[in-house]
Amino acid sequence: MSTPVLETENLVKVYGKGATRFDALKGLTFEIHEGESVAIVGKSGSGKSTLMHLLALLDEPTSGVVALGGEPVTALKPKKVSQLRNDTFGFVFQQFFLNPNQTVLENITLPLKIAGMGKSERNRRGMEVLEQLDMADKAKNKATNLSGGQKQRACIARALVNKPTVLFADEPTGNLDTVTSEIVEDILFGLHRDHGITLVVVTHDEDLAAKCQRRLMMQDGEIVTEEHGATGVHA
Amino acid sequence: MRSVDVARTALGNTFRSKLRTALTVVAIVIGSFTLTLTSGLGAGVNKYVDTVVAGFGGSSQMFVMSTGASDAEPTDGPAEYDPEAAASTGGMFGPGSGGGVLTDSDIEEIEQIENVSSVDPMVFVSPDFIETPDGERYDMELDVPANALGLELAAGEAPGEDGMELSIPEDWLTIFDTEDAEQVIGETVEIGISNVTGEQSTVEAEIVGVSEEALSGIGATPMPSRELNQQLNELSMEGYEGQAQNAYTMAVVDVENIEASEQGVKDALIDQDLLGLTVEDQIGAVQGVIDAVSWVLSGFGLIALLAASFGIVNTLLMSVQERTREIGLMKALGMSSGKVFGLFSMEAVVIGILGSVIGVVLGLGAGLVGNAWLTGEGGPLGAVAGLTLFAVDPLAIAGITALIVFIAFLAGTLPAARAAKKDPIEALRYE
Ligand SMILES: Nc1ncnc2c1ncn2[C@@H]1O[C@H](COP(=O)(O)OP(=O)(O)OP(=O)(O)O)[C@@H](O)[C@H]1O
Ligand SMILES: [Mg+2]
Repeated sequence: MSTPVLETENLVKVYGKGATRFDALKGLTFEIHEGESVAIVGKSGSGKSTLMHLLALLDEPTSGVVALGGEPVTALKPKKVSQLRNDTFGFVFQQFFLNPNQTVLENITLPLKIAGMGKSERNRRGMEVLEQLDMADKAKNKATNLSGGQKQRACIARALVNKPTVLFADEPTGNLDTVTSEIVEDILFGLHRDHGITLVVVTHDEDLAAKCQRRLMMQDGEIVTEEHGATGVHA
Repeated sequence: MRSVDVARTALGNTFRSKLRTALTVVAIVIGSFTLTLTSGLGAGVNKYVDTVVAGFGGSSQMFVMSTGASDAEPTDGPAEYDPEAAASTGGMFGPGSGGGVLTDSDIEEIEQIENVSSVDPMVFVSPDFIETPDGERYDMELDVPANALGLELAAGEAPGEDGMELSIPEDWLTIFDTEDAEQVIGETVEIGISNVTGEQSTVEAEIVGVSEEALSGIGATPMPSRELNQQLNELSMEGYEGQAQNAYTMAVVDVENIEASEQGVKDALIDQDLLGLTVEDQIGAVQGVIDAVSWVLSGFGLIALLAASFGIVNTLLMSVQERTREIGLMKALGMSSGKVFGLFSMEAVVIGILGSVIGVVLGLGAGLVGNAWLTGEGGPLGAVAGLTLFAVDPLAIAGITALIVFIAFLAGTLPAARAAKKDPIEALRYE
């Protein structure tokens, strides 16, 4: 098996203290390998988003270790962590977080702008991704004028534009009807299949979870079961 | 993020809530407008003073007066009788100044002072009237010939050493029923003066120049040549019984290497109860007042800027609050805290640049128009020759802009630090 791109050891996250103390994650240890697709499934409030934020280096664990490519990240400087996020990860958040005042193209090239890429190169890469997602004709539209499904695709485009090795998606189909959900799912698994992107999907959508190679079932901050094998992948 | 992108993004963000930005900018405009105006005023007046001083030939001269009575220091009880001082406070000379005068012994003492190369004693004469060729008589007071160097001429030339010559101020042209200054050049007038016994006599003099009034006041009264002044003085002394005690209103002293030796000569003069003033000193009094006025106004400008800086803090804090999610997203996508700080400081700087540029442009406009109106032909100060109240000093303007941008940057640091500190997770959870 390939080297784990992400691994955790006894990961604990505690919110608040004293009477309001809440143990969101209670010591998780697992690995995610390169090119894998992993679903984190569980009821609302079980700690899925919290876990994803820790894996994506957006938050720091109360205790325990997150290692990226075998290297613990706690030792890294904040600036280095920011840079890692920028060029290794892609994010699809639970909400869209598109800037309504900017065009779709401006929105999706934000990670490249942050990376310090020049404008023309940014736009070229942006258009490439939009074409891939069948959104090229919407490039100059303001982000507010998109439908829900188009917004979600724009978010995926933004997550892909920097050619990440790991794509994190938090409820990528949560806001969408079944038809649009299908389209988004197809895009995600297409990318996984064709580009070898490591996919980490947080969802409580059984259907979506079933398409992943591995499912981590969460309950009250713990992984209760782990399932292998994509059960529902369309041929 | 590249610097150009930081600047471009900041610029875009600034114009997102136009009204709020506009109101913040207005406050800065007021400050920068005031500062531009006051610094331009200072520059204009200083430029004028420089030209006046240059008119005196860069001046190695010092005007020496007696401090005896003119400074009127309070004395304890009656002063002891001093025959020389008594004679010199005769009040015969000088146009109602009542100041102390210089005696021959004073002049000798001045000559002894180191670095003094020559001493030229001056008398004020008080003629009774001036008579035009038409026979009409007008009241007159004469300036001293030493001031001829500072004369700003509208026509002709300054009265010289020799020859019975004088210049008249521009507004005296009316007595010749003309508006053309050139026309009166060469006219002959008679000047009447009384001697000590009250007997009147007249001398003839030729008008060689027409003067404009300078800010120093020179040129506002007719100015005689040395010869004319001397003749009038002799006429006024006629009939004086006994040994006439020479008394001079002041003395014009040439000082060698005045830059370096000015203070030494002044100190030496003070030891003799004499006061030495350079041209700069005399004009400096006027300059001092204007400097004080412009400093006070600059103070108001700075207060306006201080208030404006709180406006910037307020605006940007609101903006940071509103854009919590956007900041969180940028940080989540890998923007470092330093760059977030840079982005928001840049927005403050953009507001500062906007405010200062608008203010400077308005200030320059107001200053130049105001100057043209006040000192132009027919303006309230139009009579003062060569007066500039406002000048463009590029260095000062660059300084003002830099100062405002710096203040804006400082004001922006608090909101920017607030933005930089935002935790991406909290920002993304923020509803
Ligand atoms: N900043 C915080 N302070 C206190 N408690 C928090 C904080 N963030 C999350 N929690 C709690 O941690 C628990 C896990 O939250 P999390 O967002 O990970 O849930 P989730 O599994 O993603 O739920 P959902 O499916 O509804 O998105 C929840 O009970 C939540 O209330
Ligand atoms: Mg969640």
